[in-house]
Amino acid sequence: MEALLFNVSGGFLEGIVRGYKAGLLTQNQYNNLTQCETIEDFRTQLSATDYGNFLANEPLPISTSTISDKATQVLVDQFNYLRSNAVEPLSKFLEYMTYAYMIDNVILIITGTLHGRNTNELLQRCHPLGIFDTMPALCVATNVEELYHTVLVETPLAPYFRDSVTAADLDDLNIEIIRNTLYKAYLEDFDAFCQSLGGPTAEIMHRILAFEADRRAINITINSFGTQLSKEQRAKLFPTIGRLFPEGNNALARADDIEQVRQACEPVAEYRAFFDSGSGAGRPNGQGGSESTANLLGDLGVSDELGAAADLEDRFFVHEVHLNKLAFLQQFQYAVFYSYVKLKEQEIRSLTWIAECIAQNARDRIHDFIPTF
Amino acid sequence: MGDEYPTLFRSEQMSLVQLIVPTEVAHDTIAELGELGNVQFKDLNPDVNPFQRSFVGEIRRIDEMARRVRFFASQVEKEKEPIPIRPLYDSAPLLTVGPRGAQTIDELDVKLAEHEARLTQMNESYQLLSERLRELVEARHVLRETAVFFEQAAVRETEARTSLDDSSAPLLQHDDREQQFSSGELQFDLEFVAGTIDRARLSTFERVLWRVLRGNLYMNYIDIQEPFVDPATGAETRKNVFIIFAHGDILLSKIRKIAESMGATIYPIDVNADKRADSMREVTGRLEDLQIVLYNTGANRRAELMTIGENLASWQDVVAKEKLIYETLNLLNYDVRRKTLIAEGWCPTRDIPQIQLALRHATEESGTNVPPILHELRTNRTPPTFHRTNKFTEGFQTIMDAYGVATYQEVNPGLFAVITFPFLFAVMFGDIGHGFIITIAAALMILFERNLGKADLGEIIGTFFFGRYIILLMGFFSIYTGFLYNDIFSKSLHLFHSGWDFREDYFNGTVGASNGHTYPFGIDPAWHGAENGLLFTNSYKMKMSIVLGVIHMTFAVCLQVPNHIRFKRFSDIYTNFIPQMIFLQSIFGYLVICIIYKWTVDWEKATTQPPSLLNMLISMVLSPGSVDPESQLYPGQSTVQVILLLLAGICVPWLLVTKPYLQWQEMKKIQGQGYIGLGADDAPRHTDDTTLEGEEEGNGRAIVEANDEEHEQHDFSEVVVHQVIHTIEFCLGCVSHTASYLRLWALSLAHAQLSEVLWDMTIAKVLGMSGLIGIIALILVGAMWLVLTIAILCVMEGLSAFLHALRLHWVEANSKHYEAGGYQFVPLSFARLNEKQ
Repeated sequence: MEALLFNVSGGFLEGIVRGYKAGLLTQNQYNNLTQCETIEDFRTQLSATDYGNFLANEPLPISTSTISDKATQVLVDQFNYLRSNAVEPLSKFLEYMTYAYMIDNVILIITGTLHGRNTNELLQRCHPLGIFDTMPALCVATNVEELYHTVLVETPLAPYFRDSVTAADLDDLNIEIIRNTLYKAYLEDFDAFCQSLGGPTAEIMHRILAFEADRRAINITINSFGTQLSKEQRAKLFPTIGRLFPEGNNALARADDIEQVRQACEPVAEYRAFFDSGSGAGRPNGQGGSESTANLLGDLGVSDELGAAADLEDRFFVHEVHLNKLAFLQQFQYAVFYSYVKLKEQEIRSLTWIAECIAQNARDRIHDFIPTF
Repeated sequence: MGDEYPTLFRSEQMSLVQLIVPTEVAHDTIAELGELGNVQFKDLNPDVNPFQRSFVGEIRRIDEMARRVRFFASQVEKEKEPIPIRPLYDSAPLLTVGPRGAQTIDELDVKLAEHEARLTQMNESYQLLSERLRELVEARHVLRETAVFFEQAAVRETEARTSLDDSSAPLLQHDDREQQFSSGELQFDLEFVAGTIDRARLSTFERVLWRVLRGNLYMNYIDIQEPFVDPATGAETRKNVFIIFAHGDILLSKIRKIAESMGATIYPIDVNADKRADSMREVTGRLEDLQIVLYNTGANRRAELMTIGENLASWQDVVAKEKLIYETLNLLNYDVRRKTLIAEGWCPTRDIPQIQLALRHATEESGTNVPPILHELRTNRTPPTFHRTNKFTEGFQTIMDAYGVATYQEVNPGLFAVITFPFLFAVMFGDIGHGFIITIAAALMILFERNLGKADLGEIIGTFFFGRYIILLMGFFSIYTGFLYNDIFSKSLHLFHSGWDFREDYFNGTVGASNGHTYPFGIDPAWHGAENGLLFTNSYKMKMSIVLGVIHMTFAVCLQVPNHIRFKRFSDIYTNFIPQMIFLQSIFGYLVICIIYKWTVDWEKATTQPPSLLNMLISMVLSPGSVDPESQLYPGQSTVQVILLLLAGICVPWLLVTKPYLQWQEMKKIQGQGYIGLGADDAPRHTDDTTLEGEEEGNGRAIVEANDEEHEQHDFSEVVVHQVIHTIEFCLGCVSHTASYLRLWALSLAHAQLSEVLWDMTIAKVLGMSGLIGIIALILVGAMWLVLTIAILCVMEGLSAFLHALRLHWVEANSKHYEAGGYQFVPLSFARLNEKQ
């Protein structure tokens, strides 16, 4: 059925997004970029790609944050083009994608205000895809309820927020809890929406969102070691759409150290590799291998744990990129829109990393980015 | 070939040349060659990254200069009152070649940087000042609007007092505090926040406030009429003045915080009317001062931009040229040890002396005595296709290039299109009047081409202007065919004595009878208005289009022969050309002969009825050998037709088999001579070739290769498949293409009918009227007729006829002979650079 009717409203935009995808940097271009000596070389090299002359009018010297901003602007422009040309249900789908950025922005502003940052500065650091009208007013909120009643009630995030409204004051722990509650509600809602679309969209999006859910569950578990977060509270934050749900989630809720997390993830074959040492589906090079080995030996010093977490994060990214690439194998579905944005974000992260390495002259780590295609 | 006069018949003969240029003169040499526009440089380091090439530093510097120039251009453009930019031909040229060239560039770089720094500084201070100005203007607005509000409130003050009498303690305290610095006149107990906010955000602002304060506020806002213009971007923003009353410090601070985060600007306003008046005066005073300063800054900035505008065009030109030069230099091979650059490129063989001259000139200019060396390389690579056109032939050649660029040295259909294209167009557009109109239009464009060429005409008019010579010829030919059809604005001309007399017949009304004359040229005007006139012109035009079509196709098939001879494919003459020719002529050539024969017979005196040629052709193929004696065209017709059909029948297998067979035979011959195991031998040789080629590209050494035939990998099955497709395409194509030429008839008929309808519906209706009304009606309707004639008949119908003429050339004619497998010659040329801009 999708093959029959999809192109009526979605064909044009699918074509556009596949065209955008063809413009993603290739391995060869990444290789060329890593050979650059200076940021100027970097710019010259990028001008030969799909980015074109996006930096041509910037006065020298160019900072890495400019590159990142401009590249993000490219993505935002593309996304807005897609969004303004989309009709239901694709427009709703694209809207759902922006909710994640909204959550990030809300948390960013609350945290920033809490630490006494300047509001305008915070607003500039917000992701442009997640900006909404009343966002600046977030900074007046002092507790969760106020937050909800003054600002969030009229945003799409309101239904996610409703569950987590308690009179609690805003502090770092609570903000983190709010973030994860919001995310849990968001992921579950998004997944439900994708399921309602049915067809390959539901299938592929479920695969991607399930991984996202599991990743969050694992991250929450690891990050909650040694904090005041009780195990019951922790269990409440786990999204219920992942592949670990329900046994894995329960096991994670009880976990006390990395080893138990590893055991909880054991039933899912793909996740097993994340905890393997050095080799396998890990990072592009063997960097950080020693830390992983240390973990296996049961030495859970704080620094090692952080190293392991960073390492794990990279592997998550690699796996996410892999899943997103798979989304392009099927036609007549909306997951390509999601995947494209995620891949482009990854690309921007990689570009920023390379540029940063060039700027700081840390050439030995320049290959630690995650290539997309 | 080299000394012959340049021709359009075949593309220019090209040579691969190698230039060995000493580094000192490299820049000047490339500049000189760019002015000449005759050499297409090859990339000699395709494996090298763009940023690892030799002249990347220079390019970067030029890029930076280009960015500055772009910055100036955008600044000049943004200025509200246009700043004159001195055109390029008016400004003194900046010499970037010669011994002082590098210095000029250095100076220019410094100059641009200085200008940029100055301009940026001015922009900054201008922006700062206008920001302050904007704030003051806003403050003034806020003061003014709040004053209005307070005045209104003062009237109602007494009533307000009574209602506020029993207010609670904080209010009273607050009252006291207020009293300390107010003179104790009219007082307001409420505290307030006043300021300005972007109009688009106002509603959100209000909503958020309402929610935060739970409705405990009184908000008033007024639109500011005039928009605020951002000096940097020129964007307009419209703002509103707002004033919010609320209770309590916490609430007020919340309001302030929200207002600030929403991008509003808050101004301290005093409750006291006198103090307000004071601050109003102060603001107005400061505003005046600021405006003077701002005016001066603006004038300075403008003066700076004026100086920039003086030189901008020449800077743009220099920067663009320099960039092109260094980009070209990057294509060359740089030998550090020998201090030379090695260039390879294609150029027309006949222009080599000119290039030599240019090289010598470059050496002299740069003041060194080491001249660049040019020598020809022999190669087996296919050179690019270059047709030397002038402003007349350019349009026609572009039409053919749009279909495909001719293979190197192939017969160029663009030459013949110069005549055939306007002619086929005119067959569809035959009308003296309309032809005259488009001739005049084209002649005007040609007359003023100098001025029009410089102006930017836009895409649509520009296209017409580009094709002005095509239009001119189309106009001439339309006039000619208009005479043939005897059509002028759907009326006919009575130039000669008609061949028909009209008599009143008692039984049949008016009948025409031949009076023995023959109308010497074109269609007899007597047909115009005759009852069977349409019948006659229809049959005449239909047959004529078949005749023209077959002639055109035959000509196109014949164009194969010079190609076969030039490329030494002699076997193709009798495997392709002869059978194709026989096939085409035996069926459609025969049809043409029958058409002409039928015209020559006086059927009134003949014994048989005039036969339908269409049915004749169909029955010739479907039931060969039998011709109905009732509709026989000539005696012995059936025998002739059977023979022709057999001939055509033989041609199909002939076409299909002979070429593959010859190929196969040749292959066997080679094998028979003992070259067995060609494949095994071939593989290493092939790699040798590629390494040789690589060496050549990499090191740029002159390798004299044997000028043997191109090494072609002939796959036998490929030849067979190709030939099968070719045969089917040709045989079916003959039928469908002949039918396709009927569009000549259809369009010319449609054109004639349309112009007749237009005449009948407009002018014919008012022509009979008399008196003043008749004259006025004639003028009005005549104007309408003229407009419609130009818009519909000349432009729309003309475009449609153009399109069909284009199709007849691209599909019907080109498919018979045109290979179009070449690639265009794109020389390094500064002239093209300007075109692009």
